[in-house]
Amino acid sequence: MMHLFTQFLLALFATLGFAIIFKVPVRHIPACIVVGGLGWITYLITDYNLGSPVMGCFFGACMVGLCSMICARLFKEAMTIFVIPGILCLVPGAKIFYTMEALLRSNVEDMAHVGIETLMMAGAIAMGLLVMGAIIKVFWALVHKTVDIKDFLKKEL
Amino acid sequence: MEKKKQKDIMKLALRAGNIMMTSGAEIYRVEDTIERICKSCGIEDVDVFATPTGIFMSTDNEESSNTVSYIKRVRSSETDLTKISRVNQFSRSFTTTDMTVEEGNEILDDIENSRPYPFWIRALAAAMVASCFSVIFGGGALDFCVAVIVGLMCYLISRFLEKYEMNFFIRGFCCCAFAAFCALLAAASFDGVSYAPVISGCIMLFVPGIPITNSIRDFLSGNMLSGVARLTEACIISVSLAAGAGVVIKLWYMLGGISL
Repeated sequence: MMHLFTQFLLALFATLGFAIIFKVPVRHIPACIVVGGLGWITYLITDYNLGSPVMGCFFGACMVGLCSMICARLFKEAMTIFVIPGILCLVPGAKIFYTMEALLRSNVEDMAHVGIETLMMAGAIAMGLLVMGAIIKVFWALVHKTVDIKDFLKKEL
Repeated sequence: MEKKKQKDIMKLALRAGNIMMTSGAEIYRVEDTIERICKSCGIEDVDVFATPTGIFMSTDNEESSNTVSYIKRVRSSETDLTKISRVNQFSRSFTTTDMTVEEGNEILDDIENSRPYPFWIRALAAAMVASCFSVIFGGGALDFCVAVIVGLMCYLISRFLEKYEMNFFIRGFCCCAFAAFCALLAAASFDGVSYAPVISGCIMLFVPGIPITNSIRDFLSGNMLSGVARLTEACIISVSLAAGAGVVIKLWYMLGGISL
């Protein structure tokens, strides 16, 4: 539990750093760092329970997508502002390094193992954002009644 | 509508789109902003095609049969989410109030010249990112201290190279090579410093998070061309980061500094 809390704090500070580097408007920084911290903690919990960093990245990305959608609606801002600093924590930077290191040791087996995991983690981030984006799109279409289900069914059937 | 006015409106819309694109917005937002600005001024027939390297637009006016098209080459610059947010607000207020084109241009001037964070704060933020990630990736207190210094210097080098218009491959390569060199030097000089967390922390500063995010959002909104372009950019950046760190570690190993 203590370990989780430290990691959460570190992720908060890391996201704060990213938010400043990418020049997030000052009034949105608190929301940004919370999104980043929640994304990282989701990654850690999923990774711990399922034992797979790939699934961790997927659910982390889903979390970031969901939270930033909420923030975007709340503050009437572009979603990008919250997604970018939040998602950066999940990008497998350390895995890139370990793939390289395995390559240097001419350990092809390790390299393939870590390399594929890196690629899959990047893919999982993409999938998470994609799935969340699609869900949000359908959700808002239903809320705003841009697609009327009854009408749609009548026409199709 | 006379041709001059039509052109002025298009130039304003194109400028707003250009600012957004260079600051790292997704394609959908850029196209949407340009279309809204044009439509709010009474140009009904607008078509925009935006890619990460250029914006194409053409408008047609029924009454005076004026067809005007513009091509704007987009030069990439650094990500600036404040600019995206401000242009977003600008387009909202431009389309809902009766702001003139001149006033709009003044606001865009102001947005273009805005500098939300001074340089030294961003450099410190970079140091914070590198050091936090070095601890997340299993470093100790000493690694934290080393990563603060290395991260700061990496960011300075990155800005320096950007000023001399080095491309992003060379930039990533040089920064990571430098980070690896410093980390190895620190690991050799002090007991208790391990180079792996420090290098991974510094790599996190340059990982292609923005190209990945934007490419997914572009794919999702049906802009395949820019989706593929940004995905490729992300791959090339990752390769450059790994290569930079790898070359230095290999050289260090060959000179007998460490055992792999």
